[in-house]
Formats: sequence, C-alpha cells, structure tokens
Amino acid sequence: MPDDANRNVPKSHRFRKQGFSFERLIRYFFASNAGLTIVILVLIIVFLLKEGLGFFPGYRRELETYRIAGLEFVDISRKNLTAHEQLVSLLNRAYYAEINGRSYQQLRRSEEAAALFNAYTDQTGPTKELILNSTQEGQEAQPAMLAVLRENYEKQRAKALANLPATPHLSAKEREEIISALRTRTPQATDDPALVTRLAEELASTQARHAEPLQAFRATIDSFESASADLGSAIMEMTESVTSTKEALQNADILEKDRRTLLAAANNVDDPAEREKLLAEAKAALAEKPDTETPMASLMERKPDCIRLHEELAKSSAAILPQLPKSLAQGEADRLLRTAKKAWPVFLSDLSAAPAKISSWTHTTPVPLSAAVVSFLTGRDWITGGEWQDFYGILPLATGSLMIALVALTIAIPVGIGSAIYVNQFASPREQAIVKPVIEFIQAIPSVVLGFIGILVFGTVLRELSVMDSLQWVPGFPIEERLNIFTAGCLLALMSIPTIFSLAEDALNNVPSAYAEASEALGASGIQTTFRVIIPAAFSGILAAVLLGLGRVIGETMVVLLVAGNRIKIPDFSAGFGVFFQPSHTLTGIIAQELGEVPLGSVHYRALFVVGILLFVVVLGINATAHRFVNRATK
Amino acid sequence: MFDPEKLIRKGRPKGHIKEVLIRSLLAGTTYLIVLIAVLLFTRIIVDGAPAILSPKFPFVDLEFLTAKNETLHVFDDAQGTRHQLAASAYSRYVAEHQGENLYNEQTFSYSGGGIAGPIVGTALLTIGSILLALFFGVSAAIYLAEYAKQSPFIHAVRLAILNLAGIPSIVFGLFGFSVFVLAVPVLTSDPSDRSLLVIPLMIGNYAISFQGWNSSLMAGCATLACMILPVIITASEESLRAVPQGFRDASLAMGGTRWQTIRKCVLPYSLPGILTSSLLAITRVAGETAPIMFTAAVAAKDDLPWEGLSNPFGILSSQVQALPYHIYTLAARIPSSEYTQRAQYGSVLVFLILVATLSIVSMVLRARIRRKLKW
Amino acid sequence: MVSESTETAAVRIENLRFAYGEKQVLHDVTMDIPARQVTAFIGPSGCGKSTLIRCINRINDRIPSARVTQGSILVHGIDIHRPDIHLQELRRRVGMVFQKYNPFAKSIYENVVYGLRIAGVKKKSDLDAAAENALRSAALWDEVKDRLHTSAFGLSGGQQQRLCIARVIATEPDIVLMDEPCAALDPLATLKIEELITSLKEKFTIVIVTHNMSQATRCSDRTAFMYLGNLVEYGPTMQIFEKPREKQTEAYITGSFG
Repeated sequence: MPDDANRNVPKSHRFRKQGFSFERLIRYFFASNAGLTIVILVLIIVFLLKEGLGFFPGYRRELETYRIAGLEFVDISRKNLTAHEQLVSLLNRAYYAEINGRSYQQLRRSEEAAALFNAYTDQTGPTKELILNSTQEGQEAQPAMLAVLRENYEKQRAKALANLPATPHLSAKEREEIISALRTRTPQATDDPALVTRLAEELASTQARHAEPLQAFRATIDSFESASADLGSAIMEMTESVTSTKEALQNADILEKDRRTLLAAANNVDDPAEREKLLAEAKAALAEKPDTETPMASLMERKPDCIRLHEELAKSSAAILPQLPKSLAQGEADRLLRTAKKAWPVFLSDLSAAPAKISSWTHTTPVPLSAAVVSFLTGRDWITGGEWQDFYGILPLATGSLMIALVALTIAIPVGIGSAIYVNQFASPREQAIVKPVIEFIQAIPSVVLGFIGILVFGTVLRELSVMDSLQWVPGFPIEERLNIFTAGCLLALMSIPTIFSLAEDALNNVPSAYAEASEALGASGIQTTFRVIIPAAFSGILAAVLLGLGRVIGETMVVLLVAGNRIKIPDFSAGFGVFFQPSHTLTGIIAQELGEVPLGSVHYRALFVVGILLFVVVLGINATAHRFVNRATK
Repeated sequence: MFDPEKLIRKGRPKGHIKEVLIRSLLAGTTYLIVLIAVLLFTRIIVDGAPAILSPKFPFVDLEFLTAKNETLHVFDDAQGTRHQLAASAYSRYVAEHQGENLYNEQTFSYSGGGIAGPIVGTALLTIGSILLALFFGVSAAIYLAEYAKQSPFIHAVRLAILNLAGIPSIVFGLFGFSVFVLAVPVLTSDPSDRSLLVIPLMIGNYAISFQGWNSSLMAGCATLACMILPVIITASEESLRAVPQGFRDASLAMGGTRWQTIRKCVLPYSLPGILTSSLLAITRVAGETAPIMFTAAVAAKDDLPWEGLSNPFGILSSQVQALPYHIYTLAARIPSSEYTQRAQYGSVLVFLILVATLSIVSMVLRARIRRKLKW
Repeated sequence: MVSESTETAAVRIENLRFAYGEKQVLHDVTMDIPARQVTAFIGPSGCGKSTLIRCINRINDRIPSARVTQGSILVHGIDIHRPDIHLQELRRRVGMVFQKYNPFAKSIYENVVYGLRIAGVKKKSDLDAAAENALRSAALWDEVKDRLHTSAFGLSGGQQQRLCIARVIATEPDIVLMDEPCAALDPLATLKIEELITSLKEKFTIVIVTHNMSQATRCSDRTAFMYLGNLVEYGPTMQIFEKPREKQTEAYITGSFG
C-alpha cells in the first residue's frame, strides 16, 4: 500500500490496524505448524546423515586393520579353500541327489511310514515316559495312578490315530498294517513297527544298490575333498597368528579412544590439580603401538609355502575334472553336477591367479576411503559380529529386496490393474459396492498380520504343495525353506494390490467420459474403447500407480522380516527359477533385525543407518518419478 | 449406400469370443482378490475364535483380553494330567503341591495369560500420536487451505508433505530412534554421558541435556505422529477445501476476521470430514510395527504402563507393549505349537477385529458425510 | 425386408417416450427425418432435443438410469431396439459429433483412422486413403497434412471440432448426428463448420441440434422445434421461421422466451 495515500488518514481511524494484532499471531501459528513438515523432513535427513556418514571412515579403519594385521592375506588363500569346499559340497549333493532320486519311491515310502509312527510317538511319548517311570522304580506301583495313566495313554493313542498324516506313496494295506501295529502297541514296546523297519531297510538296500555304479564318482569326490587338506591346515596356523595381531590393534584403538576422552575432559576442567590428574591418566593410557611387523614378517615367510600349496591344489583339481561322470540320470543331480562343472574353470583360474596375488600382496598398501564405499556398495558379504572380520556389503540385501519386489509386482501389476479396469469399466454398481470395500479392507490389514499369515498359513501350504508329486515339474520344488523369496513376494503382492488398484482406478476415472462417448459413438465395443482409448489416456497414471506400488514394496519391513527367511546370502541363481524359492534378507529387514542389538555408535550401527539412507533415497526417487507421471496425467 | 440389413446381427459378431474372454479374465482377477481376502479372514477367524470365545456368558474370553501377558508353563502332574498355566498361576501351583514331581515340563514365552498389556500399550500409542498429529496436522492444513498463497515456502511445505508420505516406515524408525530416543532435549539434573549438548541452567543444578527420551511411550508417539502427519494434513486440507468458498466470502464480507471466519464458518463444517479421515490414520498407526520397535515397544513387561510409577507423568517415559509388536514376537520368536496357538491366533484375531471395526466405521461415516454434506 | 414407405425417411421416430430414472424427458415424439437433408432441432435448454438425437445411435445406453419407456426408432426401417441389433454397426452407420470437441489423446492421423481400425481395417494404404479423404471432406487436409502425426491437442478449437467430424465421416456413415457442434467455438470457426455442413449434406443425412436460430436457418432444410420434451412443430425450415403454426414456436423464434 503506498504510504502517500495513507498519510492523511488519522492514526486512530477505524480502517487502520490497531496495535497488537491477534490475527497476525494466529496466522504465524498456523504457518509455523505448516513449516513443521519441513523441519521434520530436514531432521530426518540430518540425523540419518549424522549417524550414517561416520560409517565410511570407521569401516575404512576396520578394513585397514584387516590389511595391517594380515587377515586379508589369509583370506586370499581362504577364498580358494571355501570355493573348494563349495565344489565338494556340490558334488556331494549331486551324489546324494542321484541316489535319492533313483530310490525316490522307497525314500518317500520310508519317510511316510516314519511320519505315521512319529505322529504317534509325539502324541503318546510323554505319557509313555510316565508309565515306564512308575512301573520301573516302584515295585509297589500305585495301581490307581497307573490306571489313570493308561487311560490317558489310550486317549492320546486315539487322538494320534485320528490325526495321522496322509501317505500317498503307501498302499492302503500298508497304511493299515502300520496303524494296526500302532493300535496294539504297548507303552513298553521299544521296537519300531515292523513295516517301518522293513521300509527303512528296503530304502537302505535300494540306496546301497544304486550307490554301487556310482562308486567311481564317490572315490573321485573323496580324493578331491582330501586334496585341500594341507592348504587347510596352513590357513589354520596363519589364522591364529593374524587374529592375535588384530586383537592387539583393536585394543590399542580402544586405549587411544579412552586417552582422547580423558584429554577432552581435562580441557574442560578448570581446577589445575584435577586437570593434572586427568592428563597423567591420559599419558598412562597412551598405548604402545602394538608390534605388527614381527608377526607380519613371519607371515610373509609363508608366502612360498602358500604358493606351493595352491599350485598343488590346482594340479590335482585339474586332474579331477575329467574323472567326473559325464552326466547323471536324475534331473536335480545332473543340475548340481553341471553347476559344479561350470564353476570348475573359474575355480582353476582363481587358483592359478592366487600365487601372483600372494607374492604381490603387502600390508603397507594404504586403504583409501573410496575402498570402504566400494566395499559397501559392491560387497557380496554382509557379515557382522563374527570373530574373523566384519564386512558390510549390501549386495545380498539389495538382491533380496529386488527379487522380492520382482515377485510381488509380477503378481500385483496384472491383478491390481486388471481388477481396476474391471471395476472401473465393466462392473455393475453392485459389484463395485462389494469389491471396493474389500480392497480397502485389505489395505487396512496391518503388515505384521500379513507376515503372521505368511509364517503360519501360507508358508506351510506352500511347503505341502511343493512335495506333491504332480507339482514336481515346478522349478525349485520341493522347497527347502518354507519362508523364502516367493512367500514374501506373494504377501507383498497382496499388500501392494490395494495401492496399485486404487491409484490405477483413479487414473482410469480421470479419463474424461467424452473419450469413451466418442469412441462408442464411432462403433467401438466396450473392450475396444477400454483398451484403445481409456487405457492409453490413463497410461501415465497407471504407471505412477505401479511405481508407487513398487515404492511401497521396497519400503515394507514387517512382512519381509517375518517371511523372507532372513538368510544373508546372494541367492543361488544357478537354480533357474528355483532361485525364487530360496530364503533371503532385505534392506528393510536387516535394519529392523539388527538395530536393536548393536552398540550405539559402532560401525555396525552406522552401517544400518547408511542402509536407511539408501532406502530413503531409492524410495523417494521412485515416488518422485511416480508423481511426475501423475502430474503429467492431470495436466 | 449401405444395406440396412447389416444392422441386424447374424450369429455372433466377429471378436465376440475374444471380448467375453477378456472380460471374464478381468472379472476373474477381481474376484480372485475378493476370494483371497475371504479365505484369509475365514482362516484367522476359524483359528482365532476358540481363543477368544468362551462357552459361557458373555461368550467372550474376558480373561484373554484383560489378563497380563506371561510365560506359559506346560507340564504333566504325577497323574499324567496335562496342565497349561501362566507363570503366576504356575508358581501358585508349585507352592500348593510342594514335593510333587512334575513331568515333561515345557515353557513358552509370551504365550500365557492374556493380552491386556499390548492392548493398553497400543491404545496409548495410538491416542497419543493421533492427538499430536491432529493438533499439528489440522493447524498446518488450515494454513495451507485458508491462508497460503503461492510462495516458495508453501511450495517447500507441499514438497515436504509429499516426501514425508513416501518415506518407508523403517526409516521413520531410524529417525525416531536417532532423534526422539537419543537426541531430543530433556530437563535433568544428571546429564548422560552420550548427551549431544548440555546447557546448564541457573536454577538449581538442572540442565537442558540433548540426550533423548530413551525408548518410551512419548518417543513412540512422537515418531508415529511424524509418520502420519502428512496423511492428516492432506485429508484435513481436502475437508477444508470442500467447504464452499461462499461461506468464507459471506463471513468476510460481513466484517469477520480471517480467524473468526475459519472458526465459525469453516471448521465446524469440515470437522466431521477431518475426524473421519483421522480414523483411517488411526488404523494405520495402530498397525505399524517398524517405527515403534526401537522407540517404544518392549516384548515383555510385567506391569501395565501406569503401575509402579511414582508420578503420573512417568507413564510417558515408560516403555509399553504393543499389539503389533506382540504379534511380531509371537510369530518370529516362538515356535508354533498347539500351546501357543491360542496366544498367536487370538492376538491376531483381536487385532484384526479392532482394525476392521475402525475401518468399517470410517467407511460408513465417510459415506454418510458424503451423502449429508452436499452443497 | 425394407418397406417402400420408409425408403425416403432415414430415421423414423414413433411415439418415443424416454426417461432418466423417474424423470420423463421425452413425451410421445413422432417424426420422420428424411435422407440427404439437414434437419435442425431447436428449442430452449433442457427441452430434450439433445436427448432425442442421442437416442438415435443409442449412445444414451451409457447412462445407467436412462431408458426408452415406449415407442421405437427405425433407422432405414430397422428398429434399433430389437434384441439382435448390431449396436457397433449401428453406431458406425449413425455417426455423432459432440458439443464439446473431444479428440482422443492420440495423433491427428490416429484420431481419423480410429473408427476404421476398430472396424478391423488393417491395410496401411486403405487407412491412409481414408484419412486423406475424410480430412479433405472436413476441409482440414490443407491445414494438417504436414503434421498428421502430431498430437490432436495442438490444433485450435475449430480445427479440433472439424477433426472430430473427419473422424466420424472416415467410417462413411449414413447419418451424422451433430449435438450443438458449434457451442464451444468462436464465430469464425462456427462459420467454417456451417460451410462444412452444407457441403456434407450431398453425401450424408445430417441431424443437428442447435441453440442458434440463425444457424438453423442458414444450413438446415427442415427444422423441428421442441419444448419441454414435446415435439411442438416440425416442417421445412422456411415455413417454421416465417409462418410458424404454433404460438409457442413463434414466441420462441421471436425471442419472447427461452
């Protein structure tokens, strides 16, 4: 307002604001509350960074210790030893898969018979113990009590017999034989029912029979297994020496930290006497730098030895490869064998590269900060709280998160968008009145409840399905773990379907009805209108719905924590689609699982915050992209 | 010239089968969801009902809802009768039957007694966080809807709301832990070692110490409030904007101030909408686990939050059990067996009933408001 | 078989009653719309004229509560409410241009060939020829031939409306219904559309709803005046405007009400 115009208006004029403005105060109050959102966002960023950024220097220091103490040197050899162990285990698994595959019928029959018997003993076991106790120690057994116990025993027997598991591989007669054996079984009986024993023997003999032609394979595996014995013991010896060096270094670090705290405290104290005392304490705490050179020198002396052992192992491993069987008859066994063979050249080239690595390794190479960053972002190991060395590599976690998201979206996108299209375009008002509240209700289910359902219901159902004979063609069946990527993905799909549904439905709803009208007036059918006009027009909105669904899936914690199986390992991709039935861990899950147990301020604690920062950035990136699409759609 | 006879369909038109197929496929996916939802609820209700129903009046197992959570002891007495007793009842039993041998004893953590602690804890967390979020959220929404004009500040606020809404709940957990548990200022006479900053006051030997509230009810409430703030703001702003502009114009034209207009002519009409949408926020808050895992929740607690406190405000700084965290504990930390099923399915069913009631109420209210308030 | 008597009438409406839910909007409308002529509907807002022409291609079916309660509509002698009607074919034969121009969010070219594509035409050369033909008929070809594959939303309002007309005539309908096609356009664009209508009546039967009485006089052969859901008067345009038989018609065209 120009001041000139107001000059003539007297100060006390009614139109002039009078003194202290209550209105303005209220306005500022509301504005500051709106500003609170900015404050919270800034606080989140600042505190994530504050706790997280210290991770990289700390991790760098740990990696430096890892090098100076010589752990890294030992790990060069150990890596090859582990690879060797893995190959051995692959071959062993192939061997047993072959035998078990060939004796599949006998195996299942024996297992099912045993399951019947176990169901019985599980139920009656405790009472059986009581009966045995009371008949054994007291010759003057109390008959009244014994009668009660026997009655209980009968009750439990009846209960057990009523709830026996299914036995699809046993004939009705065989099942009846076992059941009748159980029906007459006394508490004192110690032998297994005859048929159970017979089936177990049958299995053993079948297995032995099938092992016969595989003897050469067995021998090859054994000789391969023993080829690394010398390298193994050399590594064991080196491990001891480097571990003690590492401990000394860590202790020195702790003392140094104490000294700094004391010095800082001394600076804050005004009283000179007190200060002197603290300074003296600090001086006393000044640790001698631990001697790393002497153990290192002796470690370096082992270099030629290590190189020789590697060369020997390489030679014998190369000789083993041609001795392996060309192929195996059972699918799973053959897959394992092929995996092992595929890994063989890599193993051999690692072995032949090792001597050069060993001889060129020195503990004086500095560890730059970037090494910590690279190791975090591309590390294949997330190992914490171990005695050897902690690694914070997020690859296994990120892979888990991504694969679970992949499964979830593969299910949720078609279902969510398909039902949105149906409800928006084709459903009658009555159908809408049923479907929409149901989906809204699914959205309201807390994620922890979904996780619970996943553990107790869905995982079990999946496992039962996976052992059915008619489903054995599915890759990865029968599953080893009932909690795995697939289970988690399915539940997350259920969680993201409402998000995708409601946003996609909004997007479809926002398409002007004039489009549909014009299209139908041109002779298009309902489906043609929907797929040629409505969906293209709503496309960016639907894409945004999918992206927001993805953001929700990646950021979800409780379901994956409960249901993903929590194995911190990059899944084995050689299993083909079976990889989706392996357990895994996730970025969100690791924070929830470990934050409660780590010491405040430790490198591990900070690592979890860096994972949080990563999640924050990724999810916000996804959401920002989604909102760009939404804005484009509404323009 | 066209032949009018063509207008009459001869048999099925081309592509009819395809159309029917696509339609039924779409309908199939839709009803698949409905089917899955129904299956889930049936399963939980069937498994959970025995835990919370009782054959006698009032047909609800009140003990399960009102008793404290304890460890479950399962054992056989010398007669071979199986007993399932919560920890307190178990010690009473042992005291009464001194000298008797117990057999096959097993314990199941968290599975005995009832779920009073978790219910109370969740109620406190929910009420606290909703009150906080409503206060700040509605105020912010009033600013956005009534005062704000295009400005960099408003732009920043809207961006912040959008971003806050997308942050994963576990990141809110980290935030709550590092800020409310470890860093917010408290008034104390004995600052902790890990305090970020201590400002001594001249009164007594009190100081303001930035050392956080520890894991406590108020830290949990604050974290949850931050998390649902964007939801409340967006919903409230929508309700405020739904009030016709004419109401405001009329009031302002009659000489009302901005605040009078808001208080008399806008808030009363938007309040039902605000409250309804905050019901939805309540279901979300009540169900969240990740943000309270490190800020407020504790797996086992002997006392209810208000028991054994020297002053009434102590409740704010005490840890609480919470229903979602309790379910997490039951699902993740103890094996499933016939003795734990009551606790597991019972808790889930109670929780689900709670959430379902809230969301149904909010759905009904929303529909009613939509019908009633048509201007 | 098609009877002789309906040969001249493209559309015959008989005792048509129509309702939205409980609300009756058309009362016993009976009329013949002749082929190869322009028939205009005039009347005050809400008199049912738009509803009436939306009945002719049954686009009112989209509105859930809308239904014909009595009477029938015959297009070239075929009752369009018979159960075995080929609805898509009917709408292809009876094109419609809407009040608010509504091109799809596609390119100009895709808009024009949309009707052909959904009818199953796949050959590129056919589509190209039809598109050019339709755009030429709609007097739009010269303005858009260099940007056929850019978005239709880049055109001016009048151009967009002519694009919508081109889209309709690309499928070579017999009857074109126009629901106040100039309502959202400026006078200049209106003029162009009117010219277009006059040129199109060589090939099509055109039914146009308009608010603008001078427009009706300029381009229509016959005019129907509707009021409160009743067909008050129907006849040659000259007669309706110069010698109206009904009082209401006269009052309306002289501007006494409406």
